[in-house]
Amino acid sequence: MAVKKLSKDKVKEALQELTKFRLIAPAKSDEVVIFKQIENPDEAYLEYGNSTVPPKRVVFPQTETLFRFLRGSPELKEKDVEEEGTTVIFGLRPCDARAMAIVDRLFSWDYEDPYYLKRRQLTTLVGLACVEPPSVNCFCTSLGGSPFGTEGLDILLTDMGDHYLVQALTEKGEKLQETLSAHLEDAPAGDEKKAEELAAAAEGKIARSINTEGIPEKLPTLWEHELWKKVSAACLGCGICTFLCPTCHCFDIQDEVEETGEGRRARMWDSCMFSEYTLHASGHNPRPTRRERTRNRISHKYSYYPKRFEVIACVGCGRCINLCPVNIDILEILEQVVDAS
Amino acid sequence: MVDIEKLREIAREIISRDDVRQLIGYRQGTYGFRARPAFVTDPGEVDKLIFSPACVNNLATYITLEERLPVPRGQEPDLRKVAVMVKGCDSRALVQQMEEKAYERERILVLGIPCTGVVDMDKVEKRFPGVLARGEIVLEGDKFLLTYDGKEEEVAKGELLADKCTRCRYPTPLVYDQLLDEEVARFADDDYADVEALEKRSAEEKWAYWEEKFSRCIRCYSCRNVCPMCYCEDCVLDRLNPQWMRRSVDVSENTAYHIARAYHLAGRCIQCGECQRVCPVDIPLMELNRKFYKDVEELYDYEPGTNAEAPPLLSTFKVDDREDFIM
Repeated sequence: MAVKKLSKDKVKEALQELTKFRLIAPAKSDEVVIFKQIENPDEAYLEYGNSTVPPKRVVFPQTETLFRFLRGSPELKEKDVEEEGTTVIFGLRPCDARAMAIVDRLFSWDYEDPYYLKRRQLTTLVGLACVEPPSVNCFCTSLGGSPFGTEGLDILLTDMGDHYLVQALTEKGEKLQETLSAHLEDAPAGDEKKAEELAAAAEGKIARSINTEGIPEKLPTLWEHELWKKVSAACLGCGICTFLCPTCHCFDIQDEVEETGEGRRARMWDSCMFSEYTLHASGHNPRPTRRERTRNRISHKYSYYPKRFEVIACVGCGRCINLCPVNIDILEILEQVVDAS
Repeated sequence: MVDIEKLREIAREIISRDDVRQLIGYRQGTYGFRARPAFVTDPGEVDKLIFSPACVNNLATYITLEERLPVPRGQEPDLRKVAVMVKGCDSRALVQQMEEKAYERERILVLGIPCTGVVDMDKVEKRFPGVLARGEIVLEGDKFLLTYDGKEEEVAKGELLADKCTRCRYPTPLVYDQLLDEEVARFADDDYADVEALEKRSAEEKWAYWEEKFSRCIRCYSCRNVCPMCYCEDCVLDRLNPQWMRRSVDVSENTAYHIARAYHLAGRCIQCGECQRVCPVDIPLMELNRKFYKDVEELYDYEPGTNAEAPPLLSTFKVDDREDFIM
């Protein structure tokens, strides 16, 4: 399909068109940028760096009902994800889309997760290229991503100043582009070349990096290494690094029952940094301190996941570095892993 | 300002002592002018210690946060002291912890930093976007000096100072074994203007305001974990049976969480502001804490974390306690 342009003065009407779907876009809540469902195009805030909470929660909600039940009754009412309808996530960053592509492998592995996969199937991802890397701690290029990366995306938008260059990347993307055709024009000649130049320039602005070669194999050999104690010394054991990670996908399942006997089985995000995460019913915890929990966080992303799925479960978005209250820095930890002997 | 060479010299002496196990201070962060906690166990490591207006963390948290595993058979527990660097506000956390008998005074060695104020990183970021990542900031007299991209910029101190510092009553630590500089006189007082503004709102306005904030909460519990007063070994939030609070993240459960958190800190919060600083979604938690702080001061003439000998407010009863707010 031909590349198109979306003039900036037509963005609102295009978004209006998309509100016939469940439209999710970056929006401001006070000064915090979050992805949320928008009804009114004025709510969308596209001049953002990156959102604090990644858009993973659109396809993997922090809390979701799996089914409802009545105590004493054998009948269950399963959740029908279909009811949420077709969804468009508009303006997410390439790293966050790539993260979804990475997490897809887990949710479609030994057991096909119907809730997640159905939702993914219903969702079209319209990415917004990072002409300027949103953060000093971006390192997507070290993990095989890029500020203009297309993995996981259905459409890529590039800010060309007075308009966005619109490139459909998948069948889903072409279909959505078709839906928007009344608001799109032919892209000016030379736009694609200019976008390539912008992409190269953006990659050049990524300031931080790590050579991941050999890390997945080396990590298990450092199980009792003293580095884990050092790098976790300041850790508070909060859930910022995991909850705000676009690839972290651990969840807990709990039943919630009202006094009436009506209840639901719900799943909700869990964090391997929490003290009760691996707590056994016996009271024993195989990961008794933040040292073991930090080791697990890094090992899961950089060793267990690539061994099973052939891709590191980190996209280099930098959120865990930016938002850690005590400046625990995953790149510094990885450098220590590389240097350790 | 604290003389860094003097700080390192004192730290070297302390960590060389036989009865000291660890010294908790600050060191340079991994990028920009971020500072971070430093855990020193060896005299060779003291040269990384710093103090600057970027040293925002309240290190008193680590005294109670430290994990103590059962001592293996045949080994003795390590009872040596932990030395900790504290600013005025942070020292009040130590005082309050000791007031609550969290540990004995002999367990810690306190390096007091008479504090002239720390920066609010969000204010710097807002005024100089991106600069945090590639610049330096120092306090000179009543001005912050920012150096970045070969440029120098002077900003009046009040503009970048953390809110808590603009109303700090105790810049000099209230407990210490050694003071790292001359005492700093109180340079501000608290008029509770922000709390009064909040009090004047109608119930509907307050609900709309907090509903928006609490709906953003992701329940990462960083506000709990960073708090030097949240040191229960068995937190009500982690309990599964009975489960006092659901893990579901929605505005109702989030509100319940924040009400519980604020109530558990009534008469205990020492206003270090760490909960609000670390919140990734900018929930103004100090507004709740400060409302309680003001109430406690007005009703009982009590300020948490100012007198280690005083009995904790909410575990005492006096027959002449004011009761006019009880229906």
